[in-house]
Amino acid sequence: MFFWSLVLIAVGIFSSFIYGRSRIKLNSKKQGTKSKSLPNYYAQYVLMWCLFPALIVYFSWAIFQEQIIQNIVISNFEYIEGAVYNEGLLLAEIRNVANNPSFADGKSIEIINAASHYSSLRQISQISFYTSIIIIMLLGALYASQKLKPEFHAQHTIEKYIQYILIFCSSVAIFTTIGIVFSLIFESLRFFAEVSIFEFLFSTEWYPFIPIREGQTAAEGSFGAVPIFAGTFLVMVVAMCVAAPLGLLTAIYLAEYASQRVRKIVKPLLEILAGIPTIVYGFFAFVSVAPFVKAFGQSIGIDASPTSALAAGMVMGVMIIPFISSLSDDVINSVPQSLREASLGIGANKAETIKKVILPAALPGIVGAFLLAISRAIGETMIVVVAAGTAPNLTGNPFENVTTVTVQIVVALIGDQEFDNPRTLSAFALGLVLFVITLFLNIIALQIVKRYRERYE
Amino acid sequence: MRLNMKNIIKLIAVLALFGTTSVSARDYISIVGSSTVYPFATLVAEKMASQGMKAPVIESTGSGGGHKLFCAGVGVEHPDITNSSRAQKDKEFKLCQDGGVTDIIEVRVGNDGIAFAYAADYEWKYTNGATMKGGIDLTKEEIWQAMARDNANAPTTWYEIDKRLPKVEISIMAPPPTSGTRDAFDSLVMKKGCVKDMLVADGDCKAYREDGHVIEGGENDELYVEHITKEQGAFGIFGYSFVSNNSDKVKASMINGVEISMEGIQDYSYPIARPLFFYIKKAHIGVIPGLMDYVNEFVSEEATEGYLLDAGLVQLSPADRAAVLDAISNQTNYK
Amino acid sequence: MNNSIAKEKIISLRKKRSLEDMRFKYYGFTAMCLSLAVLVFLLYTIFSKGYTAFQKTIVLLEVDYNQEVLKLTPDSSDEDMEKGKFFRVKKQAIENFFPDLSKSDIKLVKKLFSINVDKEIKDYFLDNPEVINTKQQIWVTAHSDVDQLLKGNSRRDVPEDRRKLNDIQLSYVDQLVEENRVKQVFNNFFFTKADSRHPEIAGVAGSFMGSLFTLFTVFILSFPIAIGASVYLEEFAPKNRITELIEVNISNLAAVPSIVFGLLGLGVLLNVFGLPRSTPLVGGSVLALMTLPTIIIACRASLKAVPPSIKEGALAVGATKTQAVFHHVVPLALPGTLTGTIIGLAQALGETAPLIMIGMIAFIPNIPTGLTEPSAALPVQIYLWVESAERGFQEKSAAAIMVILIFLFMMNAIAVFLRNRFERKW
Repeated sequence: MFFWSLVLIAVGIFSSFIYGRSRIKLNSKKQGTKSKSLPNYYAQYVLMWCLFPALIVYFSWAIFQEQIIQNIVISNFEYIEGAVYNEGLLLAEIRNVANNPSFADGKSIEIINAASHYSSLRQISQISFYTSIIIIMLLGALYASQKLKPEFHAQHTIEKYIQYILIFCSSVAIFTTIGIVFSLIFESLRFFAEVSIFEFLFSTEWYPFIPIREGQTAAEGSFGAVPIFAGTFLVMVVAMCVAAPLGLLTAIYLAEYASQRVRKIVKPLLEILAGIPTIVYGFFAFVSVAPFVKAFGQSIGIDASPTSALAAGMVMGVMIIPFISSLSDDVINSVPQSLREASLGIGANKAETIKKVILPAALPGIVGAFLLAISRAIGETMIVVVAAGTAPNLTGNPFENVTTVTVQIVVALIGDQEFDNPRTLSAFALGLVLFVITLFLNIIALQIVKRYRERYE
Repeated sequence: MRLNMKNIIKLIAVLALFGTTSVSARDYISIVGSSTVYPFATLVAEKMASQGMKAPVIESTGSGGGHKLFCAGVGVEHPDITNSSRAQKDKEFKLCQDGGVTDIIEVRVGNDGIAFAYAADYEWKYTNGATMKGGIDLTKEEIWQAMARDNANAPTTWYEIDKRLPKVEISIMAPPPTSGTRDAFDSLVMKKGCVKDMLVADGDCKAYREDGHVIEGGENDELYVEHITKEQGAFGIFGYSFVSNNSDKVKASMINGVEISMEGIQDYSYPIARPLFFYIKKAHIGVIPGLMDYVNEFVSEEATEGYLLDAGLVQLSPADRAAVLDAISNQTNYK
Repeated sequence: MNNSIAKEKIISLRKKRSLEDMRFKYYGFTAMCLSLAVLVFLLYTIFSKGYTAFQKTIVLLEVDYNQEVLKLTPDSSDEDMEKGKFFRVKKQAIENFFPDLSKSDIKLVKKLFSINVDKEIKDYFLDNPEVINTKQQIWVTAHSDVDQLLKGNSRRDVPEDRRKLNDIQLSYVDQLVEENRVKQVFNNFFFTKADSRHPEIAGVAGSFMGSLFTLFTVFILSFPIAIGASVYLEEFAPKNRITELIEVNISNLAAVPSIVFGLLGLGVLLNVFGLPRSTPLVGGSVLALMTLPTIIIACRASLKAVPPSIKEGALAVGATKTQAVFHHVVPLALPGTLTGTIIGLAQALGETAPLIMIGMIAFIPNIPTGLTEPSAALPVQIYLWVESAERGFQEKSAAAIMVILIFLFMMNAIAVFLRNRFERKW
């Protein structure tokens, strides 16, 4: 049904456009004056008056049609005396019978009647829907065509409308942020109503299993997130130990030593590394790196966990190499050439120039890049979900199993979700912490980079 | 980006794509509940899908969570079936009544044994290096002593419980309170194996110790495997089907001298065996298409003697089976 | 004399310095090579683990379509044929698979076959109803355990109780190989079936369609909004507090972890708006919000790249600002915005965590047909298979990764093509 209505709207748009064009030409010819705007604008004006009311009808029909039909069907349903009905179920039954004739076998006559009533109402609704769309489009066109006079400034009006649409588009980002903050804070408040914020931030026992039903014997849950924060930190440190030197040295090589040809080949390859989905890195960590870490641990006499912080961190490090290298590359490239030349001019060689001149000059930018990379590492989910553990463990040993904030969010929301239970709500509290920290890192990093850029501009 | 003919056509194309979506009534079955029954339910769902029917959407929420969702009310927004690895409790039945779910059909689908299992590549060794003959064999009482919070002795190694057991530290990963396995384990082992003489005054037989020797996991069996392969000599608590399908990873200990086996679970000679269930909301029959097809497929010979058996669901005895089929065909309330 | 010592010192110092220079360059080179080596190793791992999934193992089975066993007659209607007792026929065929099998052996032999065999026997019969009361040699799908063994993915030298197949079953498989009753063919199931609990018949068709529907939603929502927002911010927005706020907002949204968008989807789209769980509609909406900043940033960059002279030219000949922007700047920036959108879509295609949050990890054995039907998505499917205990799923997950990487590669290739073909250098 809605497909044909779109065809209808399409036809309406077309004809209104053509109508608007020819009408204004006719009108200006009649009056013998040139129209204030080009004919196309008048056509667009008519079109808008045709399209938007039709769209409003279209969407309100899509939203309310079912509701109204159902109300009519239910209110006309021949209830059998004494039988108890559940309205929602009755409706579902009627609809499923109406949509699927083979399902009607063995149904009571009332249901079958109601189903055919439902079908006929739908037909009526369809017909009236088409009619009302046609009418509303005609009305729109009629209203607009009254304004189709040469002295009417169609262009101004159109441009005003366009502005409104554009402003709406830009505000989506704001709404998104409000949505994030609102949902995180709202659910977190419910969490902190049951768990003290001090326990959450400073206690070291994470034991989120608390009885959901009465009469269950279970330990009291405790929600001290310190081991989780520590685990996240440990994985992040491992990742940075891998990514910082590799990424920075790669950036230096590409910016200062590599020939144009090498740059041209290597940069896209690094972009591939950045474009690989994180679940793929998770797979890689799980099947290749974790067994390797375990074997390596055994060879040096350390009993490594199959879900060690080391394996997850190393792979995460690989993931953020391109991130660091491309940001640092930009930063190094924006160090003014004059500094380089001055240093080379007084006899320093390239390595000395880089170490003594360029890196100190680029330092703030590089720090900014590192902060952004850290924020990326903290928020990364799939690698740690697959390759790190789920049991909280307060340790500094990277060979041991640790868990992270993102893993605990996933664990809390897979399966049993109860929005009145702190276990489920803890995901939102952890999400809030994650959001605040990454936002904080990001703002600082962007500030640093911005200030750095300004210095050399 | 001029709004001319060509661009209008493009705009229309986009609108057309938008219009192809419309919201429809729920015409698929919605199932929640026990993670133990979940794999069997998905097999049946898959079978239905392969026969061209719409497959049910199944979520593993644990038995307790399942009953809670199931009992919340009648209507398409509530699930049609909940799986459960234990019988519905009186409290939950009352919850259902309060929620308006008055007519419920109980279907007993088979039996499951609970395995007390350790890593398959682990060997039980005494301090002198000799291996335990025939693997480890525990009694319910010994398991209780190892796990109970209110055991006055609070042993740290198995040797402290009984001299024939090796000096290996006690480490057990137990299911969370929402799990049906936990409920069954509590009543079959913790309650029955409770040694009153060792219980501290006012002690609770079913409480697990909190000193690190017993830790609670989640609903995901894989994490248990992860734990027991990492910590050698640690035990995990699993359903039989998981153990039988993952014999390359975990190995079940004998209980009271009985090895876990399909026959032992069917005739309950294996001490920790329990029935598995699902519950049907009668009001939804005839409303959700395919609901009875699903139920009939689940209890069909083809399933119970075929793919469900292969997956580790232990069949009912013929008498029990007849009763279940009878209840389904007459749609009798179980209570 | 002094001079020569000084000279020597200088030379040695210079040598040392140039050595240092060389060393530093070498460090950089090594770091670069190491990064690229990891990329190669990663791709190699995926390929070497995954390529076997494109083949499946089939076994030759003799099936006796006896009418008594089937409870059918040669002139049964099509409807009755659907209800034939094919599982009995299969049981019989397996009992006679090897001569003189004991009851316990039959159980073992049965585990060599896929669960799908019933359906294959049935489909064969429905396609050729004339085979009733004859014996037919049919190639049927082998169980994943056999498949993995023959592909060399599971080892036979581990102790028996740690293997999926015991010694007797191994000898059966060997016998089959010897008698040429088993072979490997192209795995059509992988591309035509949805998820399954059985690795040998699990495929990516369901999750692929789910991903397609999700991406479609992302595109429909994010492309117009992103273009609108970037045109506004780049060309029209007055320089004031609010504009600045929007800009800061967008750059910060780009750095918000994807899982937080998942929480947004769960907390607002599902719990407040009551949209249907596990559907591409919700998944696509969440991913659209997530990729919006990426696309806006790309769009703005390409708008910025259009030289102001063009706009100024238009303004100079009397165009209004809207005309100048929409008639001249936007069309010139369109290839760039499209490139940005495709890159945003590629990012959305690989994103997993938000989809998990909104429940797209339910087990769905159907191939979805619409935006409001519960469905899986490719990356989530990979996650589910990676986490699965069954060995047979490991090669499937690697193969699914290959599928997703191929698509990402194609999308990026299109983006690069667009950029090179249409983007003008000023």
